Amino acid sequence: MIIEKVKKINNSEGEFINHYLVNDKYNVPKDEANRDYQSILAWVADGNTIQEAD
Amino acid sequence: MALSKIDVANMLTGLVPNDNTIRRPNAKPLIINGDMAISQRATSVTGLTNGSDVYVALDRFGFNEFGSPSSQHTMTQESLTSGNAYINGFANALKMDVTTAQGSLDADDATMIIYKFEGQDLQLFKKGTANAEKFTLAFWVKSTKTGTHVVELFDKDNTRHVSGTYSISTTNTWEHKVVVFPADTTGVFGDDNARSLDVSWFLSAGTNYTSGTLQTSWGGQADTTRAVGQVNTVDNTSNNWHITGVQLEVGEFTSSTLPPFQHESFGDNLARCQRYFETTFEVGTAIGASTSTGIIRSGGNQGGRTSGRMGHGFTYPVPKRSAPTVVFYDNSGNSGALARLDQGSSTASNKNATLAGGSQKSFEVTSTGDSTADCLNYHFTADAEL
Repeated sequence: MIIEKVKKINNSEGEFINHYLVNDKYNVPKDEANRDYQSILAWVADGNTIQEAD
Repeated sequence: MALSKIDVANMLTGLVPNDNTIRRPNAKPLIINGDMAISQRATSVTGLTNGSDVYVALDRFGFNEFGSPSSQHTMTQESLTSGNAYINGFANALKMDVTTAQGSLDADDATMIIYKFEGQDLQLFKKGTANAEKFTLAFWVKSTKTGTHVVELFDKDNTRHVSGTYSISTTNTWEHKVVVFPADTTGVFGDDNARSLDVSWFLSAGTNYTSGTLQTSWGGQADTTRAVGQVNTVDNTSNNWHITGVQLEVGEFTSSTLPPFQHESFGDNLARCQRYFETTFEVGTAIGASTSTGIIRSGGNQGGRTSGRMGHGFTYPVPKRSAPTVVFYDNSGNSGALARLDQGSSTASNKNATLAGGSQKSFEVTSTGDSTADCLNYHFTADAEL
């Protein structure tokens, strides 16, 4: 997956649900066993920033 | 009356005889989808090259590359109707077709087919202990290029690896190969759901992986020893490489002592693959296709028709290896979307699909207020691959 943008997902109460929306398509869990979350961690380590939820 | 010989010593100790006996009678095969019967994502994908996703077609078997190879490939789930693999019970194979050749490899270029294991499925190899077992990898293979090919085991937990070779004797002819790897008394596989072991069948390898002496005993990572002698199978667009009947056994076997391939039913095979990937799109239908076949329809809004928020929970038939990455699609091929259905009246596609929660076992999707509807329609993929 080539990451372009990452945004937190909140529930209707405004609480973070431990998932991120990547490229407006992929719902990625905050779970280090998930290979896409590993890619997010690498993307952040490269200096990119996760956006807050809408 | 003749008496059978009884192994009293092993009856008393409970030890398994240390010979070429089948160690895992009645167990399911360690390699999932080794007969290449399952291909949920697609049956053929073109343009595989530098930067491509690993898993694109066959379940559990992926395309991997190092460096920036310029070769391009089509991966296909191939139906077999003849040949030695077919007459030995294999009706499907993974085929790699070179569509853009790379005759001259950059030093850091390499391409391969890869299979990844969870550590908790490998404990029976007793790796990292004094009782460590050998690994026997067997498979049917057909390659246009004759000569030496390399297959590698890479221990991701301990950054250790070992390579073996097989030789293609006759071009474009199915041959059965048995490769034995030594036991490793160093480095335990983690007893968890993380990636512990990769099996890589090299298709090409630049000098960064070939300039040393092949690593035929387990050792720490030394790239120059990983694929020494590998022929370049990507140097001509006429070249193909095929594989099926992949099995991994505990201990050392030869072609004459190898246990039979453990064929599973299609349903059992599919269920084991679904631990890693699941979709509502029908087998043979491209992910994201414009179709309602297989689509989930929520049970309807208990309050009747509404233009407000609606939600739907789904429990996976097979719990995933870990919490998966989930993608929603509507009936028209839009991703990140679902359709709000007003039954008997209209279907409004391309409405925002928002994940409300997810785990290894289930998810909930919601649709914010929009067009009047009484249920939701959506496809999904759930990916928990290693």
